[in-house]
Amino acid sequence: MTTMSLRRKHTDRSALVQGTLDMLILRTLLFGPAHGHQIAKHIRHTTDDILTLEHGSLYPALHRLERKGWVGAKWEVLGSQKRVCKYYRLTPTGRKELAAESSHWKRLAAAIARVMTTAPAKG
Amino acid sequence: MTDDDLDRELRTHLEIEAEEQRAAGLSATEAVAAARRALGRETAIREDVRALSPAAAIDDLMQDLRYGLRMLRRHAGFTAVAAVTLALGIGANTATFSVLEAALLRPLPYPAADRLVMLWENVNIPAYKNDQNTPAPGNFNDWRRQSQSYSGMAAIASRAWNLTGSGNPIRISGEAVSSDFFEVLGIEPALGRRFTAADDSAGSERVAMLSHGLWSDRFGGDPSAVGRTLLLDDVPYTVVGVMPRGFAFPSPDDQLWVPIALTPQQLANHGSHFLRVVARLKPGATTARAQAELDGIAAELTKQFPTSNTGVGARVMSLRDVVVGDVRRPLLVLAGIVGFVLLMVCTNIGNLLLARASAREREFAVRAALGAGRGRVLRQLLTESLLLALIGGAAGLALASWSLAGLRSLAPASLPHAETISIDAAVAAFNFGIACVAGLICGLAPAWQAQRTDLHEAIKAEARAASHPAGARARNLLVVAETALGVVVLVGAGLLLRSFWELQHVAVGFESDRLLTFRVVAPQARYDTIQKRSVFLRALADRLNAAPAIKAAAGITFLPLTLSGGTSGVNIEGDPPPAPAEVKFVDFRSVTPGYFSTMRIPLLAGRDLAWSDTLDSPNAIVVSQSAAQAFWPNRDPIGRRMKLGRSIDSSVPWLTVVGVAGNVRQLDLTRQPRPAVYGAGTQNTGTGDVRDWVVRADGDPAALASLVRSAVWAIDDALPITRVQTMDRVRSTATSRERFMLLLVSAFGFLALVLAAVGLYGVTAYTVAQRTRELGIRVALGAAPGDVVRLVLGLGGRLVGAGLAIGIAAALLLTELMRALLFGVGTRDPLTFVAVGSLLAVVAFAASYLPARRAMRIDPVISLRE
Repeated sequence: MTTMSLRRKHTDRSALVQGTLDMLILRTLLFGPAHGHQIAKHIRHTTDDILTLEHGSLYPALHRLERKGWVGAKWEVLGSQKRVCKYYRLTPTGRKELAAESSHWKRLAAAIARVMTTAPAKG
Repeated sequence: MTDDDLDRELRTHLEIEAEEQRAAGLSATEAVAAARRALGRETAIREDVRALSPAAAIDDLMQDLRYGLRMLRRHAGFTAVAAVTLALGIGANTATFSVLEAALLRPLPYPAADRLVMLWENVNIPAYKNDQNTPAPGNFNDWRRQSQSYSGMAAIASRAWNLTGSGNPIRISGEAVSSDFFEVLGIEPALGRRFTAADDSAGSERVAMLSHGLWSDRFGGDPSAVGRTLLLDDVPYTVVGVMPRGFAFPSPDDQLWVPIALTPQQLANHGSHFLRVVARLKPGATTARAQAELDGIAAELTKQFPTSNTGVGARVMSLRDVVVGDVRRPLLVLAGIVGFVLLMVCTNIGNLLLARASAREREFAVRAALGAGRGRVLRQLLTESLLLALIGGAAGLALASWSLAGLRSLAPASLPHAETISIDAAVAAFNFGIACVAGLICGLAPAWQAQRTDLHEAIKAEARAASHPAGARARNLLVVAETALGVVVLVGAGLLLRSFWELQHVAVGFESDRLLTFRVVAPQARYDTIQKRSVFLRALADRLNAAPAIKAAAGITFLPLTLSGGTSGVNIEGDPPPAPAEVKFVDFRSVTPGYFSTMRIPLLAGRDLAWSDTLDSPNAIVVSQSAAQAFWPNRDPIGRRMKLGRSIDSSVPWLTVVGVAGNVRQLDLTRQPRPAVYGAGTQNTGTGDVRDWVVRADGDPAALASLVRSAVWAIDDALPITRVQTMDRVRSTATSRERFMLLLVSAFGFLALVLAAVGLYGVTAYTVAQRTRELGIRVALGAAPGDVVRLVLGLGGRLVGAGLAIGIAAALLLTELMRALLFGVGTRDPLTFVAVGSLLAVVAFAASYLPARRAMRIDPVISLRE
């Protein structure tokens, strides 16, 4: 993406997140509707600040998901917020996509974990 | 809408973040700043989101186009220079393609034309080799009877007639054809009927098919012409049909067709070769299989008729190959050369764009800072160069269409469909295509440089110091490439020029200046005996020779250098009969007395033919020097006898040598002439009828035209006079293909030279401008003006030297492709290579000397203050 190529330092870290960012967003929305700032904060908090997104990269991703029809969006006032925010929520297709993505992710993670925890063979 | 939506969303995000930062203890200002930092660059986010929409691509394109147009308008001078250069390059390519398309690519105007073939004899014996020999009727007949590959096969014999009766006598050319000729080609008459098998037999062959043109000229396009009568050589023919407009086969000049009506004797004759044969392959039959079949039949015929058919094979050629003939190679070479010129144009424009891109680095950096991605900047650059190329392409199309009239009139007769060269859809598409390709190529170098530029460095850097090694390297590479391309183009042009010069200076064996030529044919119907024809020849010769403005005049069967004439096997009296493969061949002609002196062909021994050589005296011939040497080495040829024909035939008369004349290039300029035999037109020598006349003038030969007309018509006013032209004109027609090539290639070569000069000048001047400060310091430190000049010239010299070396190496390989186009000069002709190298070196020196002089005048004080 164009933003990354301009600032080479960000390219590597963002690229790592890029593949999984969609999944993280969908997963966050599983708990209910959220606006962009909430999603960013949620991801940062739940990962103990290991994954800090440049907030900027979140919005292109959100708009992309909206275009694909995996999330819906609506300007409204919700919860404790006093202001009108653009809230994103999972659509049924998004939910299915998340299920597929996360089972795929789990298999992958388990496989990687097995490799990482297996002791070297003797002999 | 999306933009507003996103703006609002981002604003909300910033507000929430700022609130949280304030809650964490930051001041209001600090909190806003921190929020902005965390969000990242808004413009970039906006670009990313916007790029998701499909409309964005078109939007970007429109924006790039608008911006590009604005840039081109703002730098009108640059745009004009670049567009003119591109117009010349693209125009030259488009014009060349229009010729190529008409000659090579346009489909033949016959249904299923890919199944049409022509059949030739492939003669290969030591004294005579020709793989497109006109077949003998006997061979045609046996091929047709024994082959299975064809749905039809037709024989064709060229004819010409004096057309008299309604209107002026005119000479028309046409063909005698088998009855299934039109069926084989698949063309129906526009009016009337085709020939039938009944027409195609001796006694009932007096029917004629008109061309559309002749029908319009002679009958005013009247449909009732069908059924009317024409007088051809004073013999009445009934018109049975009119062909559609544009039909002319096999010669583009054909105006009339009659049945060939080959007699049973002719159909059994394997020794007299005068037909052309067109055939249609059956569906599914291939040329290769047809060839194999014909090879078998020809081998059988050789066994059956060893005297006439030894060394006579057969050859199947697709009609397209026959029509295209030997122009494919020259046209492809032309296309290659003009393609190189376009590449030179592209390197030139690329260089200009590169220099400009360096100057625009700050602009790109600013655009990037404002959120334009690197991809956008690249696209912008390519859009600009494409725009430039399309403007150049449009101008080039105009240039090409403007040059078409000239191309059509210069085109040699051997170029198929030359009269229809035009800007059609294919040519326009080609023009557009190469404009796009040229635009991309031009944009490559600047795009590549932009890709490598660190925009952050660029935005900080001072504009004038923006030059960097990568850009300089690219510019230098382009100059080297351009010089190399220039060498290839100029070597091609140089070789063709040398070759043309050689052609102009071929010793033809006669003096072609101050000669007027014309053709007049005494028709067999009225001049039905040799006596009557002799009386006519003598009367005309006497009348012409009596005119004070005429020094000498004489007739011959076929003028030299017109690719026409008879060739025959020959038997020498006293020699043992030769084996079929050992037969000697001669070119034979009939002439009137005085031919050799009129043409200034030296008579080396014996006497000229004379009017006293009549049917009552022995048949006299003059032979060429080469014939005398070949047939009677170290013996006196005078008084020796020979017979025409591959075998001794008692019905063929003996011919007695009375004189020896100098050698003459008979068929064309390039081929070494065969031994020649000249019989007297007043005797029954079997050497053909005299029809072409040569008249030597005291002054301008063209001025004699009306004189010769009145001389002919004083004898017989029903005889049309055709082909009135000077011998110099005949000679120049013989080199029309070479002249056409040379003219185009010289124009391209000139263009290449200018491009190379401009390119080198541009780079040297640019470098001097870039290095003004450095050169100023050198001068301030005591460098003499000469040192500065040497420095600048040295830079240009190294580039040109490298370009020359690469170009010469490439040319040494590429000129091999031109071998068939060259005459009297090798593909590695040292003179051409040295001349081209020197020419380019001189031009390069001049091109870099101007900037070098400017460098010499640099005032160190001024340059350092800048």
